[in-house]
Amino acid sequence: MRSIKIKFAYRFLRSLNNLNRRRRITDGESITTRRRRYHMVKTAAYASMASAVGSKRAWSRALLSKIRNNRRNYKIRRESSSSSSSVVVKVKKPIIQNPSKAEELEKLVPGGETMDFCSLLDETAHYIKCLTSQVQIMRSIVQFYESSSSSNDQRY
Amino acid sequence: MDPPIINEASFSAANPSSYSLAELWPFPISGAGTGNGDLGGLGLRMGSFGGFRGDATTVSVDESTVTEQSASHGASAGRKRKDFNSEDESSKPVSTSSANDLNNSCAKRMKESRAKEENGDSKVEGETSSETGKKANEQGKPEPPKDYIHVRARRGQATDSHSLAERARREKISERMKILQDLVPGCNKVIGKALVLDEIINYIQSLQRQVEFLSMKLEAVNSRMNPTIEGFHSKDLAAPTFDATGMIFSSQAPREYAQGTHPEWLHMQVGGSFDRAT
Repeated sequence: MRSIKIKFAYRFLRSLNNLNRRRRITDGESITTRRRRYHMVKTAAYASMASAVGSKRAWSRALLSKIRNNRRNYKIRRESSSSSSSVVVKVKKPIIQNPSKAEELEKLVPGGETMDFCSLLDETAHYIKCLTSQVQIMRSIVQFYESSSSSNDQRY
Repeated sequence: MDPPIINEASFSAANPSSYSLAELWPFPISGAGTGNGDLGGLGLRMGSFGGFRGDATTVSVDESTVTEQSASHGASAGRKRKDFNSEDESSKPVSTSSANDLNNSCAKRMKESRAKEENGDSKVEGETSSETGKKANEQGKPEPPKDYIHVRARRGQATDSHSLAERARREKISERMKILQDLVPGCNKVIGKALVLDEIINYIQSLQRQVEFLSMKLEAVNSRMNPTIEGFHSKDLAAPTFDATGMIFSSQAPREYAQGTHPEWLHMQVGGSFDRAT
């Protein structure tokens, strides 16, 4: 878990850097651009978490492919404003005792719709671990930014 | 007592494991291949019997060594082994001669074996069966596959395969539930699967919301301060400090954070309401 944390921190910082560099070209403070930027940061956080975990886990695989698909769809929509049809694979699942709760959990864990209940629980455990470490690291990054910015403000 | 019948008897002695042989022999064999290649493929198919491949390849290369090995294998079938040895010496040129004969005779292995032609492959079968038979003797019954979960029915419980599998599944689920309960703070006291699931769902949602909130904050902080600070571009400078902080934090940190800064998060949501405005 520690190596995952380090990997995640490294990847996330790198992608944040990339975002910043890209942002400078199209600088703007309107609400839409800020919202778009927020989404980009969020996607970067999830993507770097998933890529730090690697393709061993089902949830990270599902998350990465989802992000990739979204990006491709976005590009396609931009290029030729035509809706792309996505093929949805339905997997037959066994009956679960409390379907509503399990369905809720399936929606929360990426890729959970195609899992059976056992592996869903397994993936959920790992996903929770990764989310907690992600939150820790993001929080420390924010703290670092804020402290450095405040010290900068004092200096200027 | 002629030797082939003794072979047959040794098969039936190791009968519980002979199904693996039945699976093995229909393995497609390229006609032109030598016996060596065929047996190598066979060894690949076997997989679970460690060291069989080596034996099998040596069968076709050098017969006498194999018979020695097989003689060392089964103490129970020692007398039969002896008979094998005597046969194998005689069948040595035949079994190495052509692979096709081998295959044909393999297909008809359950029938009464003919004369010398068959001795080559019947020896191979005899060897594998003695090997697996030895395993079976050690455990008292045929060895289950590796990923098989062993479940025992208690008194009064159903013993058909479906209920056994269902019980195994339920045990697995409850085990993972326990792991999840340890992961989610404040979930240990909750009793009942539905409530535990509820708690897990809430926790994941709160974590995801925290990620959203943090990325919102990061976006704001990033955009505010990035032009002013030039030294932060070097990831080399930043990464070690984050690693250190990540290590220092205990696992309880996010939970406290969730409780501590919830008003702040609301404030953020209100203040930066751009998310809802558009």
